[in-house]
Amino acid sequence: MTVAAGIGYALLALGPSLALFVTVISKKPFLILTVLSSTLLWLVSLIVLSGFWRPFLPLNSAASWPFAVLIITSVAFQEGLRLLFWKVYKRLEDMLDAFADRVSKPRLYPTDKMLIALAGGLGHGAAHAVFFCLSVLTPAFGPATFFADQCPKLPFFLVSSIIALAFATIHTFSMVIAFNGYSDGNKLDQLFVPVVHLVAGMVTLINFTTGGCSIGIPILYIITILTLLHCGKMVWGKLTENQIRL
Amino acid sequence: MESSILESIGVEIIGVMSPVSICMLLVVLIVYSLSPATDSAPPIRSAANLVYLEVPTDSTIQKLEGALLNALVFVIIIAVVTFLLVLLYYYNWTGFLKNYMRFSAFFVLGSMGGSIFLSIIQHFSVPVDSITCFVLLFNFTIVGVLSIFSSGIPIFLRQSYMVALGIFVAAWFTKLPEWTTWTLLVTLAIYDLVAVLAPAGPLKLLVELSQSRDEELPALIYEARPTVLADSRHQGRSLELLFGAASQLGSVEMQPVSGNHIGTREGGEQNVHPEVIVSESTNPGNLEGLLQEGDEVERSPLVGGDLGGRSSSSSVGSEYSVVVGSRDAPEIVADEERSPLVESRRRGSGNERAERGMDDDGSESELASSGIKLGLGDFIFYSVLVGRAAMYDLMTVYACYLAIISGLGCTLILLSVCRQALPALPISIALGVVFYFLTRLLMEPFVVGTTTNLLMF
Repeated sequence: MTVAAGIGYALLALGPSLALFVTVISKKPFLILTVLSSTLLWLVSLIVLSGFWRPFLPLNSAASWPFAVLIITSVAFQEGLRLLFWKVYKRLEDMLDAFADRVSKPRLYPTDKMLIALAGGLGHGAAHAVFFCLSVLTPAFGPATFFADQCPKLPFFLVSSIIALAFATIHTFSMVIAFNGYSDGNKLDQLFVPVVHLVAGMVTLINFTTGGCSIGIPILYIITILTLLHCGKMVWGKLTENQIRL
Repeated sequence: MESSILESIGVEIIGVMSPVSICMLLVVLIVYSLSPATDSAPPIRSAANLVYLEVPTDSTIQKLEGALLNALVFVIIIAVVTFLLVLLYYYNWTGFLKNYMRFSAFFVLGSMGGSIFLSIIQHFSVPVDSITCFVLLFNFTIVGVLSIFSSGIPIFLRQSYMVALGIFVAAWFTKLPEWTTWTLLVTLAIYDLVAVLAPAGPLKLLVELSQSRDEELPALIYEARPTVLADSRHQGRSLELLFGAASQLGSVEMQPVSGNHIGTREGGEQNVHPEVIVSESTNPGNLEGLLQEGDEVERSPLVGGDLGGRSSSSSVGSEYSVVVGSRDAPEIVADEERSPLVESRRRGSGNERAERGMDDDGSESELASSGIKLGLGDFIFYSVLVGRAAMYDLMTVYACYLAIISGLGCTLILLSVCRQALPALPISIALGVVFYFLTRLLMEPFVVGTTTNLLMF
């Protein structure tokens, strides 16, 4: 609906991520590199998934169960990849610590580790927003708009941006929770992230029914807020325990 | 609390990735905003199109063969130009090379930059009259020529003009037809690999010549701002130490470079070998006004600096041909500048010895002045790839951007580990092409299928 609307939709999906990037991440070059490599990893995961599912596409959009299988397999694959990301990060952490010893600087602080996790999550969120939302946003820069059947009250682009915002937030902060869970061996945190991801994915299935998005999107945002609260609580706990130790 | 290492690691890499990203972004914007205008133009014949003019109605096999022939001819021309460059440099015609480079930069900024500005003005109906436009363009061009080759200009201006040159040439290249562009990119990447690593490669010869004379290569190089850190002793060596530490973790012995790194910044800017000289070789062409430019792109090593940095320069051969005849005449020759990324790959792991080269024991050069140097041809061909991806879809743009950046990162890391001149094109172009086709063929149906049903994960 004109360039202004297009930019508006893009910023709706990516605005908080951009703000986070500019204020926190752009100050430290290493975090920028982490964001880029994380985005690359999730792009590769999407390519692998699409390679796997290519023979079955296009799916018949009348029935919703093939999509459920699609979501379950995709989420499972991505969570497995998250574990791999964690293992690579552990090796990197060792390298960084060895480097710090060499240049006689302090080793990585816990806040540093959480920043790296945040950057990784931001890469994931950005990859999601770009590939699922921005790539179909190109017609929005033109003179018209589009309404989808599933959500007849809002333009399709608006709905897509709102969902992308929710997912970007979930991904960004799940990575922090996941890394903390893996490093502390906290089973609750380790399970929290895949479960949230799966539930969020399944909730979007509700969008299949006509008018379904008026139920699906609020539930999605409840999940997002839940993730944010859990992450905040965890980070606060980590910071205060360190303060006490210091 | 002392500052953590997270503050300073990776600064050099970002110093190179940002201009590459900006260049790609601007080329994508130019392609998006100007592309409908060029669809109706008749195909221009340029050096990359000499053999075969692609027409959409040809069969696939015809297009493939034609594109391969085009690419082959182009690479041969570039190789010849580079050898000519080596010859000229060998006979110490450096003054001639520098002046020719100045002239070619003037020409690129004026004619190609001018045509792009004119298209933008036309497209967006910018209210500016022709006299003002001409004066502004003239000023822009002159300042550009001055900033590239003289020493008193702020480095930011020089960097901006380098990026501008890259943008104009890349935007020009995106006008090539599709099959030709892809085969050209792949062939150039292979040529780059051969020219830098093979013993008789022209770029390798050029670098060795410049090393033996202990001076910089005349080339067009983007030079990242030298990093000024609080602890200047460790700057520049950080990547090397990081991977030295890593390899020791893996029980591989890698001697850390020991050197006296003097973190002098003053005068560092002047000493930084920014002399990018565009070497141009005249085309023994028979078309009127056919000029050829060879731009050497020089890459300097990333880190270490203990080993003398060797810079490889890439010669970019660009051919300018003046438009002759009417628009519909088939023998329209369009100005085209080719900037093969010759040798820009060369990235030694050390500093440019030439820029400092003042140490008594020649093996150590001050690291202070070097940022990373990246050849201009690299900028151009990365942007061409992303620009061509932009003509398809935004998803491919993002995928190719990520692929190229990660290829660049890999090459830089490889550089700090291998410590010898490395070609910058192959990894990035290979990844870019692979990701483009994977995204276009595999990912697009998958993602668009789920998104249009408002299904996301």
